Amino acid sequence: MPERILIVDDEETLRLSMKARLETAGFVAEVAENGEEALGRMKREEFDVVLMDIKMPGMGGIEALRLFNELFPKTDVVMLTGFADFSTAIECLKLGAKDYLVKPVDATELVARLRSLVRSRSSERALQETRRSFLSMLYIDLLGPLRSARESIERVLKSNAKLSGEQREELSNALAQCEKMIARIQDMDEEMKRSGTAEVESSR
Amino acid sequence: MTSEPQRKPLRFAYHFKFQSGMEQKLEIELDPQTLELKQSYPEQKPEWTKLKFSQCENCPLGADVEYCPVALNLSNVVETFQKFNSFEPVHVTVETKERTYSKDTTLQKSLSSVIGIYMVTSNCPIMDKLRPMAQFHLPFASGLETFYRSVSMYLTAQFFLKRQGKQPDWDLKKLVELYKAISIVNKGMAERLRQASDKDANVNAVVILHSLGDGVPYFVEGGLAEVEHLFSVYTKEE
Repeated sequence: MPERILIVDDEETLRLSMKARLETAGFVAEVAENGEEALGRMKREEFDVVLMDIKMPGMGGIEALRLFNELFPKTDVVMLTGFADFSTAIECLKLGAKDYLVKPVDATELVARLRSLVRSRSSERALQETRRSFLSMLYIDLLGPLRSARESIERVLKSNAKLSGEQREELSNALAQCEKMIARIQDMDEEMKRSGTAEVESSR
Repeated sequence: MTSEPQRKPLRFAYHFKFQSGMEQKLEIELDPQTLELKQSYPEQKPEWTKLKFSQCENCPLGADVEYCPVALNLSNVVETFQKFNSFEPVHVTVETKERTYSKDTTLQKSLSSVIGIYMVTSNCPIMDKLRPMAQFHLPFASGLETFYRSVSMYLTAQFFLKRQGKQPDWDLKKLVELYKAISIVNKGMAERLRQASDKDANVNAVVILHSLGDGVPYFVEGGLAEVEHLFSVYTKEE
């Protein structure tokens, strides 16, 4: 499915020319003339990338960037400016913009930068998918059997079975190993939750 | 039908009226034969107009040229609008010999019309190829109007080449190359104006010109598809 790009610029000539160039390159491109209009569109439709001018009347690019990152974290934002300023560029990147382009930008360069961003989004998605299926495999193929083994060992240790001191010690060691592995898998799940990957245990 | 050569200068009078009530006038006069800009420059030319200040990557001018001709032509307009924001709303009236145009627009859009004339009438070896368009200047032109005017101008030039026994370029291949070169000049000029202005009106006017120019190769490479249907009265003929 082609990537959906939202172009936000107060100048109609620029909006329409970028839209035409991006559509020729195979993207789906929509336009908005300021931050408020972009916000309205983003509430109704999903976009992969927002290409946004910094200086616009009404809600400017910086304010919109802050808002979009909070409300639509899955959408990447690329900032555009005609008036290059190093500190603004740094501020945009700190606020979560994925790229910062100084106008005028040739259509070929714009398309190349967007394709590169889209590639990195795809790689990130593939990586998350791999992590998700790896965790899922850990839970289904490893955690379940580990928990069963732990319960069995605990039952044996708590039972009145006649065990030698050496056997009891070996079972205790095995129990500790099980606990350690279970804790490690649960830590990995926590880590995934923190990094935004879907939680595996609850989704099972 | 032939007409007498024009003797009076070609004149475009731009009148900007801002919401604050402030007004600004710009009179552009071109030589009727050469379409060269008639303008006097201050003795102390701004530093940013020097050729070496931010020379375009593809500039063919040598070290013997001290000032960039485009920058020099733009110096008055750039100084006038250097403290303005690009999105400033403005009512613009443009008077020409034949008619008067007016539009409520943004400063960047109207400045792009003005800067367009200054750039193609400056003796820059690259921008000069668009000079005939100044005779048919169309204020506030849309992208499609600009593309059509460019192709029309270029095809007229090919007609004259053919009439002189030279090789015309009916496939518009060199027009695509020309606009790629112009795109580099626009970028170079935007860089120059960024350093010459406090706010972004001047730069963004060039950004608009760049985006229009950047669209011409697509228009041509797409076979002028956007307007082909309008010519069916010709293309359907046996």
